[in-house]
Amino acid sequence: VTPAEVEARLAAVREAGSRLRGRPAWVTLDALGGVLDAFRDPRSRWRAELESALPEATGFSRATVREGLSRALAGWSGDALRALVARELGGPAALEPGAPRAAVGFDATAVLLAGSIPMPTLLSMLAPLVLLSPVLVKPASRDPVTPRVVARAIAAADPVLGECVAIADVAGGDAPAMDALLAADCVVATGSDATIAQVAARVAAPRRLVAAGHRLSLAALGDGATRGDALAAVAEGLALDVALWDQQGCLSPIAVLVAGGTAAADRVAAALAAALEQAEKRWPRGRIDAAGAALFAHERAEAELRAAAGRSVAVLSGADQAWCVVREDDAVPRPVASNRFVRVAPVGNAGSITAAIAPLRRHLAGVAMAGFGADGMALAAALVRCGASRICAPGELQAPPLDWRHEGRGVLTPLARFADRETHEAG
Amino acid sequence: VSTADPARAALDARAVAWMREPAAAPDAARFGALALDLFAFQFAHCAPYRRFCEGRGTTPARVRDWTGIPPVPAGAFKELPLCCFPPERALKVFRTSGTATLARGALHLDTLEVYEASLLPSFRRHLLPDLAEGARARILVLAPPPDELPDSSLSHMFGVAVRELGDAGSGFLVKGGELDAATALAALADLERGGGGVAPLLVCGAAFAFVHLLDALAERGVSLRLPGSARVMETGGFKGRARERSQGELYAEIGARLGIPPARIANQYGMTELGSQFYDSVLSEPGAPRRKLSPPWARVRIVDPVTGAASRPGEVGAIVVFDLANTGSVLAIQTADLGRESAGGFEVIGREEGAEARGCSIAADELLGGATG
Repeated sequence: VTPAEVEARLAAVREAGSRLRGRPAWVTLDALGGVLDAFRDPRSRWRAELESALPEATGFSRATVREGLSRALAGWSGDALRALVARELGGPAALEPGAPRAAVGFDATAVLLAGSIPMPTLLSMLAPLVLLSPVLVKPASRDPVTPRVVARAIAAADPVLGECVAIADVAGGDAPAMDALLAADCVVATGSDATIAQVAARVAAPRRLVAAGHRLSLAALGDGATRGDALAAVAEGLALDVALWDQQGCLSPIAVLVAGGTAAADRVAAALAAALEQAEKRWPRGRIDAAGAALFAHERAEAELRAAAGRSVAVLSGADQAWCVVREDDAVPRPVASNRFVRVAPVGNAGSITAAIAPLRRHLAGVAMAGFGADGMALAAALVRCGASRICAPGELQAPPLDWRHEGRGVLTPLARFADRETHEAG
Repeated sequence: VSTADPARAALDARAVAWMREPAAAPDAARFGALALDLFAFQFAHCAPYRRFCEGRGTTPARVRDWTGIPPVPAGAFKELPLCCFPPERALKVFRTSGTATLARGALHLDTLEVYEASLLPSFRRHLLPDLAEGARARILVLAPPPDELPDSSLSHMFGVAVRELGDAGSGFLVKGGELDAATALAALADLERGGGGVAPLLVCGAAFAFVHLLDALAERGVSLRLPGSARVMETGGFKGRARERSQGELYAEIGARLGIPPARIANQYGMTELGSQFYDSVLSEPGAPRRKLSPPWARVRIVDPVTGAASRPGEVGAIVVFDLANTGSVLAIQTADLGRESAGGFEVIGREEGAEARGCSIAADELLGGATG
């Protein structure tokens, strides 16, 4: 699209936004709740469209897409959306003109999408609309499908709302078109540190930038999760967390820290390897590009060489490098290979886990933890201090609740301006 | 060649003899024979490498062709000393730039003779092909001198080049870790006025250092037109050191601020773990397609990362380097870089400009960010 076309679309959604703000906020909220309920329904047209088109567009296997959507959207309902509004804004009344504690969305929000995982796209498009802010969406190059399906679902649910959504396929290197897009009053951007920095340099106050950088997640296991049936269940859950979206998400664990030493880490690595082999049968890994394959092969060979050098390192891997588990001999940060490559590292005890995580705190998103018994509460608190914004059980990482405070902040609040009216006088 | 082991000394001597031949040329048979002999030596003398090869079912007796020599991943140099002598006997240890989060790689050398014998002919052939025998060039280096950064292979390389090929006006323009902008601009302005005489002019350094130089020129509103003999060599990336930019943007800025066109800017592909370097062909083969060329004593294979089999011509794969200058460590190195064959050389395929990650998980190079060394 040309810069002029981007400007025109931005102007059009701004105009449509004024109509949106001219009706009760609960009407919009109900419509958006209906959209979420529709995506949540596995028999809905929209779910079918995503499940049909995403494998080809994104490279994820069909089974992975189906399972990933099913688990992630199970809790993303209209009721969950209304609860989110109540929790963060105090209810839809805050969105009405003249509310004493008002939450005001921006006149228009530009949403710059990244990656090919559909749930962040869905929520990134819906959240500004909850605040009655129309959206102009730049799809990710890796997923041209989801934003269009979401836009059509919104239009089908509520034509007025549908006019508040526009899509602009702006190439990242097209500076004039990007500048036109970034002229929106609020900019939501997801991407690498470099991408975020580039966008931030072009979004000056009073416009608002709501940025989400790339993140990583981990698992932490205590003694109670490293033996017997508990271990089998935990390994199955972690394999699911790793396999879904081929370990490309910020909630995909890249490493498992095991309190209890090498023997416990060995048991966890073996159980996780077996579970990943089973996961590969149910949810095969999708396409892997040359860069991903090269890094995967490099990191596996590097671990094999350390083992050959006499280090206490074990490498377990599936056929055709479909997955790899490296049982490390320390918890030193190493490159993230993704594509179902997991490092299992022994740490001395629960207290050592936070020390191991500390170098990663700037990038940390979620931690799946189990097996710490009475020490679990203290560890969870320590993990929060280390930067974790989500702590859950193994197997739950890929199903964050709708109100997960990603980046340690609200879902809606960063997109709003708040105003407190303390008088009934007009002026 | 000063190594304690006679077998190793003999191998070093064969490599150095080839490197010092005035018209050293590619020779497949010579390369293959020396590679296999060197592999046998390294298999015998580098225990981690031997066990690594054995784990792959490979021994010197089973390898009939240099392409069958198992490559070690470059990242392993961050984890352990890979050398064919006791590490404490190292005369020099070059280290990778390192990061705030991850360890630094280290190349142990018990002699600098092979390293220096390898670097000079490549440097001269690809950057100063017009330098007359016995003449010297003006070499301005945008990197710290070796005495400031003794564990930097890049600084060492520049130091050797200045020593062996540079004239009296050559030198280093980064002092105390900072670009000496005043000196750099004065030197360049003098060259613009013809102060360098007729000696070829080479401005070389790390890409991020060029960004600092260009910023300094921009701040002063200065655009130079350096003599037509001027050329640039740049290498490495920007991570955490300067504003990121594409190679095209960098070359365009160099053209605008220094008056040196892209056809006279050569990129060097090298890494601390390698004794040899690979240069763009633009200066040694002007007019031919830009691609990286290897010295006769090094070979690059582009392989399928999963199977290790050779990629088809033109197909993107992982870069594996076989470098006979790596006599004291391991000659075969598997990188995590991508490339493709191109007209007898190869291209390095960077991450596609503007390419997005598949998801929101952190990428390896982001975790690697925040260079400290």
